[in-house]
Amino acid sequence: MFQKPNYSESESQINAQHTKQHDDVETVVGPSVHVEGDFSSEGNILVKGIVSGNVKTSKLFTSEKGSKVLASVKAGNAVVSGVVKGNVKVDDRLELTSTAQVLGDIECGVLVIEAGALIRGKVTMKGLEIDDPKSDKKSGLIRGIVKDDDKKDK
Amino acid sequence: MYVYLYDNYLRSKKFDSTVKAIETRLTDFEIAGKIIRLQNFTNTEAIIEEEIKKGATVIVIVGNDETFGRVLSRGAACRVLFGFLPVGPKNTIAEVLGIPEGEDACDVLSQRRKINLDIGWISNRNRYFISQLYIPASDITVEYDEKFKVFGKHKKMELVVCNLQPFVWNRKGKEDFIVHPQDGKLEAFLRPMSGKGMFSDKYEDPSLFPFEEMVITGSKPFQVEADGTITKETKIVIKLAKNRIEMIVGKDRRF
Repeated sequence: MFQKPNYSESESQINAQHTKQHDDVETVVGPSVHVEGDFSSEGNILVKGIVSGNVKTSKLFTSEKGSKVLASVKAGNAVVSGVVKGNVKVDDRLELTSTAQVLGDIECGVLVIEAGALIRGKVTMKGLEIDDPKSDKKSGLIRGIVKDDDKKDK
Repeated sequence: MYVYLYDNYLRSKKFDSTVKAIETRLTDFEIAGKIIRLQNFTNTEAIIEEEIKKGATVIVIVGNDETFGRVLSRGAACRVLFGFLPVGPKNTIAEVLGIPEGEDACDVLSQRRKINLDIGWISNRNRYFISQLYIPASDITVEYDEKFKVFGKHKKMELVVCNLQPFVWNRKGKEDFIVHPQDGKLEAFLRPMSGKGMFSDKYEDPSLFPFEEMVITGSKPFQVEADGTITKETKIVIKLAKNRIEMIVGKDRRF
């Protein structure tokens, strides 16, 4: 059986650990556990096992080496060290470590890729000021030409 | 009007002095009341309902963790204010509630610091649990909030649902990992069994899921231990009963 609670610690220690714990992890999928179905949490998610379904959190998503997520991931921030077979959409910062493998499109604000990480998919990042000239003639470089024409007119 | 539910073990001579001191202190505070001694098969819900009809406003449990769990497993269905006077060993819940042991608990009771507690509810058995629910390693499948199912690679899994008490996960060679129950959620810890060792079974690292509803099913009957009461079940549905009981607690409570 799990160990029974130990109350020998002082209140302050417990409170400190409490704060630390809630800052760290709230949902843990253990290494030999298989989760089937859409999986969402309001807190941080740590995956060490296999998740066959969409994963969603507004906070930090972490997948450890050896873990597998077989569907899309939506998170506030993410650190991926395992396999993700699906699209990854992260509001802020996505970090792919050397053992990460992503088979799907990535959308994020900030992307950090360590040497050795593998990606097969389209990467889209927010905040890009230079647009693709083929797809958009109204803005970006095209806008510069319009400005030259304006000067000639003057 | 106060009604005191005494556990049967308090008849023992070694608790005589503590019980007498408590009764004197309660008289000093003018909150002494009717005393009912619980027997092993007493239906606490029926007793509490009866006392409420007779005008009871506060039901005070006098005993230990087992008494607390036994009274509230059924008694939580009753809408009345509860108090607790811990006496003797096996009193971990009292510490969580900030209630000192023995006659000092009367001070907390007289101060009437009330709080609504979320508790666990085994809905298909209509039983409540206050502290913890434990299922020893069994062949079970767990479904959370009707959204996702959790299986173990190895068939057998151990499960703990934690409500009031912090849970200590002792990791070999690493510092302990303490998880404190959150408001508005129950915490479930799953630990798949990986094999049998020389002296004890071997387990994988636990998984942790906060939830509001959980369905546990087993192909064979599995043992369920809720607040010390052991039963055999093939399916249980656990839900969070928000603000289910109103309780008098101490200022040093741990939540």
